[in-house]
Amino acid sequence: MSHHNKTLVKKIGIYFSYAVITLFFLFPLLWIISMSFKTSQELFAIPPTLMPETFAFENYRYVLETTGVVNYLKNSAIIVFFTVIFTLLVSVPAAYALSRFKFKLKVPILITVLMTQMISAVVISIPLYRLFSNWNLLNNYIVLIIVYVSVVLPLATWFLKGYFDTIPAVLDEAATIDGANRWQFITKILFPTSMPGIVSVTILVAVQSWSQFVIPFILLDDESLYPVSVGVMNLQSTQQAVTTHYLAAGSVISVIPVIILFVVFQRLIVGALTSGAVKG
Amino acid sequence: MSNFQSVKSPKIKPGKRAFVNSPFPWLLPLGLILTFVFVYPIFEIIRLSFTDASLLGSDYSYTTESYGRLFGQSEFFSMLLITAIFVSFSVVFQLFFGFIIAFLIDQGQKLDLKGTVIVRTSVLTAWAIPGVIIGIIWRVMYTETEVGIFNSLVGMMGMDLIPFLSDPTIALISVIVANVWRGTAFSMILIYAAIQTLPNDVMEAAKIDGANGLQRLFKVMLPMLAPIILVTLIIISIDTFNTFDMVMALTGGGPGQSTEVIALSIYTTIFREFNLGQGAATSVVLLSINVIMTLVYLKILGRQGEK
Repeated sequence: MSHHNKTLVKKIGIYFSYAVITLFFLFPLLWIISMSFKTSQELFAIPPTLMPETFAFENYRYVLETTGVVNYLKNSAIIVFFTVIFTLLVSVPAAYALSRFKFKLKVPILITVLMTQMISAVVISIPLYRLFSNWNLLNNYIVLIIVYVSVVLPLATWFLKGYFDTIPAVLDEAATIDGANRWQFITKILFPTSMPGIVSVTILVAVQSWSQFVIPFILLDDESLYPVSVGVMNLQSTQQAVTTHYLAAGSVISVIPVIILFVVFQRLIVGALTSGAVKG
Repeated sequence: MSNFQSVKSPKIKPGKRAFVNSPFPWLLPLGLILTFVFVYPIFEIIRLSFTDASLLGSDYSYTTESYGRLFGQSEFFSMLLITAIFVSFSVVFQLFFGFIIAFLIDQGQKLDLKGTVIVRTSVLTAWAIPGVIIGIIWRVMYTETEVGIFNSLVGMMGMDLIPFLSDPTIALISVIVANVWRGTAFSMILIYAAIQTLPNDVMEAAKIDGANGLQRLFKVMLPMLAPIILVTLIIISIDTFNTFDMVMALTGGGPGQSTEVIALSIYTTIFREFNLGQGAATSVVLLSINVIMTLVYLKILGRQGEK
């Protein structure tokens, strides 16, 4: 076989594998979207129809009007927003210190922070549940958000530390010679140059917090305060086979925000994940 | 690193400057939050594991009975076995598919093929979806009558319908398949990043030396990727041991306890059976697994750092 033919066969093989991979990973999502537009009769069609015959947009109207989904979405948005803000407020200074100061406890602190990342959220939620119920703090967003923040803090701190490390120390020196103090250096130089890193952390934290389930599941018992993850779970337990199309519509609504965020910022996220990974 | 000690800033008093020039004020909020949310709960859960506390009452006494009862139960060991099967199969297949997809995307980019971004995005989308929703989606697809998509295909091929979620063994396989779908993206992205850093000249040299594609893959590429694959293996193992949301939504641990992995078992023991002492003891088992795996991870990272 000539070299040209060999490359062509290779290309066709790779394209074929791409089609299989894309189908395998997108199919479940496309299936739930298709289900969300079916009428209740079409749910029971044998064999099931791949595409809905008519698009039953009323499923979405029904879910938005009669279930708590709109409220769940609002709750998730509030929780995620404040989690992102507080995570940045805590992780940026910590990452700055871990990147720019030399001190004995640096490595032990970095390792401890990494350790907390590995601990199961179920395990920490149990003592917190007891503590909060004794102090009447269950169903309290402030403490809930603090727990959310702590779960994403290790990742955010490690990632930002890695990002700050890539900003050359020469810039620090230049700033010092120009008479800038630490605070001026941070706001005038470190922040602008680290913007891509800070944006990546923001997206990663937002996606992770949107998905967070265990913590609100255990620390909230007032249904009106549920974020979407817990809310949809609740929706599932109250649904039957005849209402699968509503459950599907509810699921689609609750993933739309993350998927949009994700597809738009895909490059940044991949960059964030990979740069963090390479450094370990 | 720090070049600020020599700065003479007349506006700031010496005491204040010393404060700003110490790393600890910068780390204080992080320390406080992590102490409150991790250090305190860990000590508390270890303490509770040595009690006979119930979630409902406030009276308890100290005892080692929780551990005694836990280790005396065959249910505990079958739960550990289910968890081990769930974790090992999930991790092996995630790594396997993650590597293959990363490799194919890299090859495609070298040949200037279109569509690599679409493949990458579709794999990563699965990872961005909340675990609960993944559980719901797969539960719908696993519907056990011919209304379900998988079983309608099975029916078309003339086979008996498969009890995806009601047969204990098949249910465990179903959960693993859904989890592989969810987790492959993470392995893919880490391995993809590592492939990007491989020096091109080494691969070229192997090619010139007459190594064929497979030889280059197994003799050159895989050995160079081994460290990052090992690191990925540990990270995803820890993650899989901690899995809760997806299984909760997909099977709830059932049928019976056939898919009740350790995190789910802790939840059920404490919040359904109100047995805080025993749930805490199970938590300590999970915590030990987490800590041991993290130590292995650090050891590997340390070894890499020395190189």
